[in-house]
Amino acid sequence: MADQNKPDSGAKFFSEILSPSELFAARSRSHKIPVRGQKDFFPNDSDEQRRRLEQSLDEHWSLISEERVEKLGNLVKATWIPSEQRVELQSPAGKFWQTMGFSANGKQHLLPEEALYLMECGNLQVFYRDLPLSIQDGYERFLSSSTVSLQQYQVFGHLKRLGYVVHRFDPSSVPSSYARQLNLPPSRDRAGKQLKRKRSASPTLTSGRTEVQDESTAVRMEEDECDEEKDKKLLESHLTSSPGTSGTQTAAQSSADEDGSRTWWMTDVLRDRSDPRSASGCTHWDFGSIPFPDLGSSGHHSSSLSPPDPSLLPGSLAVGACDVAPWRRRINLREVKMSSKEQTRDKDKHRWDINRDREVRRCRNWAEYRELLARREGKRKGRPAHLWNREVTPLHDPTRPITTEELLDKISVTESTHLLEGASRLKASDEWRICFNVYQPDTVADFKKSSPGKPYSRMCVCSFDGPVPDLRAVKLLAFQSGDVPVVFAVVDHGDISFYTFKDFQLPTDVQP
Amino acid sequence: MATEGEVKTSEDAPPTGKVSTRFDLEKETELRFEVEAGEAAEQVELELLTGMAEVFGSELNRNKKYTFGPGSKIAVFTWQGCSVNLYGKPEVAYVSKDTPMLLYLNTHAALEQMRKQAERDNERGPRVMVVGPTDVGKSTVCRLLLSYAVRVGRRPTLVELDVGQSGVSVPGTVSALCIERPADVEEGFSVQAPLVYHFGSTTPGTNIKLYNKLTSRLAEVFSQRCEVNRKASVGGCIINTCGWVKGSGYQALVHCASAFEVDVVLVLDHERLYNELKRDLPHFVRVVLLPKSGGVVERSKECRRDARDEKIREYFYGFRGVSFYPFSFEVRFSDVRIYKIGAPSIPDSCLPLGMSQDDTQLKMVPVTPGRDLTYHVLSVSSAEDGEEGARKDIVESPVCGFIVVTNVDTQTQVMKVLSPSPRPLPRHTLLIMDIRFMDMK
Repeated sequence: MADQNKPDSGAKFFSEILSPSELFAARSRSHKIPVRGQKDFFPNDSDEQRRRLEQSLDEHWSLISEERVEKLGNLVKATWIPSEQRVELQSPAGKFWQTMGFSANGKQHLLPEEALYLMECGNLQVFYRDLPLSIQDGYERFLSSSTVSLQQYQVFGHLKRLGYVVHRFDPSSVPSSYARQLNLPPSRDRAGKQLKRKRSASPTLTSGRTEVQDESTAVRMEEDECDEEKDKKLLESHLTSSPGTSGTQTAAQSSADEDGSRTWWMTDVLRDRSDPRSASGCTHWDFGSIPFPDLGSSGHHSSSLSPPDPSLLPGSLAVGACDVAPWRRRINLREVKMSSKEQTRDKDKHRWDINRDREVRRCRNWAEYRELLARREGKRKGRPAHLWNREVTPLHDPTRPITTEELLDKISVTESTHLLEGASRLKASDEWRICFNVYQPDTVADFKKSSPGKPYSRMCVCSFDGPVPDLRAVKLLAFQSGDVPVVFAVVDHGDISFYTFKDFQLPTDVQP
Repeated sequence: MATEGEVKTSEDAPPTGKVSTRFDLEKETELRFEVEAGEAAEQVELELLTGMAEVFGSELNRNKKYTFGPGSKIAVFTWQGCSVNLYGKPEVAYVSKDTPMLLYLNTHAALEQMRKQAERDNERGPRVMVVGPTDVGKSTVCRLLLSYAVRVGRRPTLVELDVGQSGVSVPGTVSALCIERPADVEEGFSVQAPLVYHFGSTTPGTNIKLYNKLTSRLAEVFSQRCEVNRKASVGGCIINTCGWVKGSGYQALVHCASAFEVDVVLVLDHERLYNELKRDLPHFVRVVLLPKSGGVVERSKECRRDARDEKIREYFYGFRGVSFYPFSFEVRFSDVRIYKIGAPSIPDSCLPLGMSQDDTQLKMVPVTPGRDLTYHVLSVSSAEDGEEGARKDIVESPVCGFIVVTNVDTQTQVMKVLSPSPRPLPRHTLLIMDIRFMDMK
């Protein structure tokens, strides 16, 4: 007895019984999927092209309309549970159980994409409200924004047909780089893993892509700017403030680090941003009103210091006046012994007070003084002013010789970056995410769902119409994936192409 | 004034036989005592009985016993008058009225006034450089000023540029440390999350170019911190420098002043240096001459070496060698890359055309591991592993820790190291120091 599952005739479903000749025909029918062949990119209005197109379309239509003949005994029965977005098996699972499905509450379940794939393969019959679902019904019901999208299913099916084991990707299952370094076993038990599979978020995008994108690029620009500034700091803070994790600072420090309160870069309430320059070198102290007990400036001040304001002292100490005179007599006046070499150098320099210079006197702080020095330096070296005194200056000062390697470093203005560089700081985005873990076909024989091991690669599904992943997305996904390569499956109306980004270094001609 | 006698009856008495000496200090005087150096020397305990007193700016708790190990040189100062007990036999112990503490306190008051102004005007706080020849109490003045600043609620930063006797990390490094509480009377400032850079030698003269580079780097990082942390910015910093004040050493001081954009320079007991700095620093920098304390003792070369050794031991074993338990494990030569910063100088005629001698001082020279590596202290650079291109960044990367090579086996290409944390090493770029440490206690 055979049953047919015709996509367009649900009503006549049970009434149809095939004759033996029809059964034979069905069995001996070719199971090959027609080859699509070369794709024409451009209509050239030729008869030949039109004929080829029609023929191809016919083949596809006939393929789709073909009756699927399966033995009822070979079909696993299952029920669709829409509230939980999964399929519960009613009869014992087949061979597919090795790589698909999960058990929960003592029942065997399949994820919608797995169920749909098995339906298409002719291994599964899914009932909903006691009526069997056709494959078309399956497409309609199983693929939704809360499960997987059509594109994702296409990739899934494509990989499955090629023999790969494909699982949904769960970000929490990826061990951190630290755990990998220590070679920690992944923290999951059998049940936990299976629950994880069930709970894993559906890889479908839920938000409108274009809107999100505009918004996120704007945000990204801002973030990038900040990132650059923070880059150095963050790097250092990462390294210096966490000696506990990186290992070799003393134990006292690592314990202090655990509470996380004491780091070199700890920030407090930021001062208002309106005046960013105030804290960087524009200070101007009036040392006339700040009384330092200076023994050197004899004559300028009286010989006794007035008592300091108690509010400035620790513990509100109150002290009396201080007589400076005896200290003045006691200060070390001995000549510094200089070697003859140092003496001659001293003379050569012809030292004089820099503060006699009127220009120096005019400087009010270090920034101005330094600028003055730099200006003079530039003048002395006779560098052409039109080149060096503007915002844009030559990359390298020819009077300062450096090695060829450094010079090459300097002129390679765009620096190469590694895929994982800075990726840990990126925020996860909704726009790009990894959908599937893919395991190689040759592992199927001893594949265990409870401990699948390290995937061969991870799939990110995207569309040909959509945007190309930018560096940020590539970095983010590469970081999320850890040491497993990320492959971009690009779907073009059923055609799937795979792309991956690889780290490489440009060769340098000069060896250090 | 001092009364001596055996303490036998009171319940908190020390083990019998320890001599107790009572000192009654008048207002603004200090008790100075030294503990005998050497292995067999007895520790001396200090207890405050009445009144208030401080040790280098940190207040003493009443009726608490402070222990000072061999070689300690301590001054207990009181503003109001107090009485203290010393248990044990100090090498010297006397009361002196002759202390410059009032001058130092006035200095603090002036700095605090600057901090107040900075806080009010949303500016940065005073950056102070303490200079002077060796053995005038530079580190003590720094500790004093920092402790006072913390006690009035500031968060100053200690910048330690004395590569010979670092108060923060092991010798041969320059470092910066945020000070959040007064120094412990016995241990000094608590060293938590310092920023440390590798220098590699105990005198700046071995590689003055590197020294200046690291000074600039520290200044840069400190300024960045001031940008994000207002409190640190107001607190300012106090820079402790080397005792080398001639020739290149002097140039290094001027460079440091410029790099940190210091506002105040405190010159301790050296008039010539004071006059030179007045001449070579722009007028808006206040140069102040201060006397040294009469209690400062000159330290011999051996004494300095011992202090360095003790500091390294403290890094691995904790204060007084009791709190930490370092690890010892083997490291394969192939797993690490060891560098020395600065190539030996070569005659100018041998240099490539257009190269100057200066370039070699910052060069990373790979070191082939061999038997002569034994006992050397190595810094573990925090520079990322792997990138050959980033080699020159290693010089400017902070250090995440130190290890000591205890044994080298050239046959199996393995060396044994002493390390504060278990294997593996967090990074694999090691920088060799000239300093050696033999773990023999």
